[in-house]
Amino acid sequence: MRIIIIIIFIGIFGLFLIAQIPVTLTSNEVDAAVSDAIAQVENAAEEAGEAKPQIDEDEVTKSVELVVEQLESKQKRRLKFLFAAYLVIWLAIMLYVLRLGRQQSKLEQRLSQLEQTEPTSQEEVE
Amino acid sequence: MGKSINILTAVSAIMIFIGIYLIFAYAPMEQSMLEIQKVFYFHVSSAFTAFAAFGVNFVLCIMFLIKRKAIHDILAVASAEIGLLFCTAVLLSGPIWARVSWNTWWTWEPRLTTTLVMWLMYVGYFILRAILSGETRRTFSAVLGIFAGLNVPIVYHSVNIWQAASNMHPGTNTKYDMATPMKLTFWFVVLAFLSFYVLMLLLQYRMGKSNLQYETIRQRQLGEL
Repeated sequence: MRIIIIIIFIGIFGLFLIAQIPVTLTSNEVDAAVSDAIAQVENAAEEAGEAKPQIDEDEVTKSVELVVEQLESKQKRRLKFLFAAYLVIWLAIMLYVLRLGRQQSKLEQRLSQLEQTEPTSQEEVE
Repeated sequence: MGKSINILTAVSAIMIFIGIYLIFAYAPMEQSMLEIQKVFYFHVSSAFTAFAAFGVNFVLCIMFLIKRKAIHDILAVASAEIGLLFCTAVLLSGPIWARVSWNTWWTWEPRLTTTLVMWLMYVGYFILRAILSGETRRTFSAVLGIFAGLNVPIVYHSVNIWQAASNMHPGTNTKYDMATPMKLTFWFVVLAFLSFYVLMLLLQYRMGKSNLQYETIRQRQLGEL
């Protein structure tokens, strides 16, 4: 029972780590996305017969990186709290089951000691 | 009993594993709370299990007062203890979820306050049992168990009874637009927790019986001396 609980505990956090790794965008991915977006805006303007808009690519990249950073830090915070909530529940259950196991083995030990002394005490009475 | 405990241990373990898989891989991400909403599955399931355990304790306390059988007392204590464990899990995981979703660790809103009162009542139940002994302990704790059990529906309906502006928990009559995978995952985790509860109840029962056996032998020996 105790071993199973510990295995579950480890397994849960293994699954947790596999499933909840935050997706971090690299600066190359951000640059590519910004270039694509600017190209789309320019193409749309060209198709509409309007003048090409003046877009500072570096400025846009900086803004996007800032937003991505903020989103990532919020996600990391959510994941930290999620991890803490699961940890708390599992620690409570695990500690309880371990305590239960310890109590059971102590009781069995006391019971067997008592059963062993029973004939002796009867002899003493006789 | 040993065989049924082994089977139930295996079943519970498998169910918990599947439940975890469902939570993180099958249930979709809730769009407003995002990742932190996944606390819901364990938090609410713990609350359900605590309610069930306290309900069983309530019934067994009544049965003990009527029939005066030690077995009812043993099972009642076991159920209250497991209920207290799950209630503690609810009270510990709730504030963590609340810190992200409500931007506060704790607020004195009806559901939180009544849950804390319920938790304190069951702590009182165990303090009472630690102070008293023998038949008095069984009788008094059964009476307190009945009183504490009456509080359980109040906790559940607190969000409807006190419709305060500070109410953060949704009402029990609220219709949720929950996606089917979310519902399935939730009910599966509830079942997994309930099977875990039954398992712990059996373990506690076995221990309670051993304890009773120990006390009987000891008293017999003391009587003989």
